[in-house]
Amino acid sequence: MSTTEQEMGKALDAGGHHDHHEIPWIRQYIFATDHKMIAKQFMFVSLFFLVVGGALAGMMRWQLGFPSQPMPGGMILPDAMMAPTPNGAIMLPEFYNSLVTMHGTIMIFFAIMPLLVGLFGNLLIPLQIGAEDMAFPRLNMVSFWLAVPAGILMLASFGVEGGAAGAGWTSYAPLSTSGEWTGVYLGQQLWLASLTILGFSSLVGSVNYISTVINMRAPGMTWFRMPLATWSLFVTAVLILLAIPILAGALIMLLFDQTIGTGFFRPEVGGEPLLWQHLFWFFGHPEVYILILPAMGITSEVLANRARKPIFGYHSMVLAIVGIGFLGWIVWGHHMFQSGMNPLLGTSFMISTMAIAVPSAIKVFNWLATLWKADIHLDVPMLHALAFVSMFIIGGLSGIFMANTPVDIYIHDTYFIVAHIHYVLFGGSLFAIFAGITFWFPKMFGRMMNEPLGKVHFVLTLIFYNLVFFPMHNLGLRGMMRRIYDFTQYEFLAPLQPMNQFITVFAFLLIATQVLFVINFFWSIFKGEKASENPWDSNTLEWTVPSPPPHGNFAEMPMVYRGPYEYSSPESDTDFLPQTTPPGGGSSGVPEPTPTPEGVEA
Amino acid sequence: MATGEGHKAPPYMMVFGVLAVLTVLEVLFAFTGLPKIWLALGLIAMAVWKAVLVALYYMHLRFEPTRLWVMALAPVPLAIILVAVVIKEIFTTGSGF
Amino acid sequence: MTPTTADRAPMAGMKVYNLKLGMWVFLLSEVMFFTGLIGAYIILRFAHPEAFAEPGVVLNVPLTAFNTFVLICSSVTMVKAFAAIEQGDQQGLQKWLLATILLGAFFVGVQIVEYTILTGEGFVPMAESYHAIARGAAEGSAVIGGPLYGATFYTMTGFHGAHVSIGVLCLCFTWWRARKGAYTAGSLGGVEIMGLYWHFVDLVWILLFTIVYLI
Repeated sequence: MSTTEQEMGKALDAGGHHDHHEIPWIRQYIFATDHKMIAKQFMFVSLFFLVVGGALAGMMRWQLGFPSQPMPGGMILPDAMMAPTPNGAIMLPEFYNSLVTMHGTIMIFFAIMPLLVGLFGNLLIPLQIGAEDMAFPRLNMVSFWLAVPAGILMLASFGVEGGAAGAGWTSYAPLSTSGEWTGVYLGQQLWLASLTILGFSSLVGSVNYISTVINMRAPGMTWFRMPLATWSLFVTAVLILLAIPILAGALIMLLFDQTIGTGFFRPEVGGEPLLWQHLFWFFGHPEVYILILPAMGITSEVLANRARKPIFGYHSMVLAIVGIGFLGWIVWGHHMFQSGMNPLLGTSFMISTMAIAVPSAIKVFNWLATLWKADIHLDVPMLHALAFVSMFIIGGLSGIFMANTPVDIYIHDTYFIVAHIHYVLFGGSLFAIFAGITFWFPKMFGRMMNEPLGKVHFVLTLIFYNLVFFPMHNLGLRGMMRRIYDFTQYEFLAPLQPMNQFITVFAFLLIATQVLFVINFFWSIFKGEKASENPWDSNTLEWTVPSPPPHGNFAEMPMVYRGPYEYSSPESDTDFLPQTTPPGGGSSGVPEPTPTPEGVEA
Repeated sequence: MATGEGHKAPPYMMVFGVLAVLTVLEVLFAFTGLPKIWLALGLIAMAVWKAVLVALYYMHLRFEPTRLWVMALAPVPLAIILVAVVIKEIFTTGSGF
Repeated sequence: MTPTTADRAPMAGMKVYNLKLGMWVFLLSEVMFFTGLIGAYIILRFAHPEAFAEPGVVLNVPLTAFNTFVLICSSVTMVKAFAAIEQGDQQGLQKWLLATILLGAFFVGVQIVEYTILTGEGFVPMAESYHAIARGAAEGSAVIGGPLYGATFYTMTGFHGAHVSIGVLCLCFTWWRARKGAYTAGSLGGVEIMGLYWHFVDLVWILLFTIVYLI
């Protein structure tokens, strides 16, 4: 047989060849190649980093709320971070800079990205398209095991002399090219090395996701029958594929500047600091769409399912995802409006940035239309998905202000930007992650998460979160700048101290509330109510297999006859109609026997 | 790809010949002393010609499904945008950046 | 009504098998990587033309042109290796793979020699110790260009050379597998994707040589 026929035959025989021996423990849990296990690996490691990132934020908030006062528990930290005094340990400004940098870096690269892409990309893509695993399972394993040393390097950088990187997650030259101003030397290099390795991990992951979606869809699973979660993950993977290498190049050049003594970004030897900004943001802007698109996909799945209604405007949703993917490449300058760029260039970036609001708005309106007159079930995933939509609207609207060059020149690098970032990343991505974890928890672990505890966690998180981040819009407009250790040194900002304290108190409450999620998560793994194959009465393919699915996922090749959102369809006697249901076949699809290769020649 | 693709073997040696000739031409052309802009354009054109030949024949794109080479072209507009925008920025803000 | 074959949409995919599709997708990311490096060079050159030099003044064009020819030859031998296994010719496959390995290793060797000579002439990536002089010029001649020249040159060609070296290692692996009979006319994906990577490395060099050495 030719290679192509072999591949086709292999895909068709999905169920047939799984009569293999038991996999040794180490291959099943540690060096796993099964996409579902790799998804869980990403999940556990990322949730750990989410906690670390939160702890770093907590320390930042202490300094902002109670400037230069002894921090509870600060005495256990080394003298390089906290200056010991008779009353306790006071945070050092250099450590604050590291906190700022590492909070952003860890949250973006080691929490949100691996949760959205490593967890949901790995978990959902093969299951939702009807494949038995990713196209390259061993490469998938490599992807995870590259992320781990990257994370270790990042954490280790806290312990080296000079401390962890302190030039912001954006690591602008010339601040980052030498330790002269941050006091950080090895830490900055470790940061660069860590991200380079992580970039490679993401890159090989994206090769897998893209190849799998293109080549391994089950018969009948046309592009426009794919669930929006898969669509968003596919476009995200393309963004990763093309953007990460630019970051890699920039990181390497910066690393050379720091170690070998090259002069790419060092003005004192003829280099160009602005080149770093252009390269970084050329990657950086697609990166933020990487951080939001999968969240949008997850939201679409949960909203449609819990509202028992088809997603309104499926085709426009797909076009919006692709449109965001395209437009995301030509807006990077809006991060650089204050860099002295040609006003004409500034205007073009302003226009393209406002243009990209359009597909996002289309998605928001489609979600709202999906909810209109729907049979809404307010369970925990739905609550989080609704929070996503609302918080994303706020975050998106603040983005319109920032897109406007003259406005941005005023609010750039203020807390207005911090508010925007957190509305889209926490209010957006993180709520979607909570929705996704709760929704697909039964598929991963065969048990449901605890509903009442989930609701308490949701309500408290939503309230505290808004109390923490909404006031930051105001702080920013009143001139409070980002990344500042002690803003009270400026007389005009001293009146903002009470508001900062207010935010800090609720930030601690917000962090404490997350314990509820952790408890729920771990308790449910062992003691949660056992889940059926399809506890949410969903249409997509992952709900046609056991919870959790066996190795190889589908016992027989699934045949797909319809799109993923046929909820409340007149054709069905229930309010859902799985994708595998043949035409006129009622509410349950009986899988066809495995066809011969000739029968499905394209 | 499998055997029996339905086309005869690509003209590998002819492509090699063209590549070799173009390489020599490029080196000779580079030292003709023409104005920089014409040199650059001519050399880039020849280099791109060689690259396209390698892609089409050695990497087999000529015989692959259309979607594959459309996909392969995807990074090109991005590369052009990045370099063009930043260079324009250099020229229109005066001295260097 | 039981669904029939006609009701099912055609088999998914691009009719390009997984390994090949995966390699192409990976190569796209490599295009972006070199875009970043070469793009940075082009941008810096426009911004600071005085930091660079005319072709041939510092760099050895004839040697590198010859090396370019070597790499192109290695693409031909690679293609011949693939053509051999397409016909099921195991001996031909091994012979041509070996030829590709030797040519590739030769390319890297010449590059190392080139680097040695250049660094000896003061053309280095480090900014503080950069003191490149023209080829053949006497000791103590005027410095040509500036630190950016060295930094960009070694980064671009160095990463390309690293890609060639990795390619040579993978070719050795492929050759070793070929000797064990791992490839047949019906199962030659491994050779094909090796070829795709190798041709890509050649393609990048074709552009890199022109941009860095000739312009």
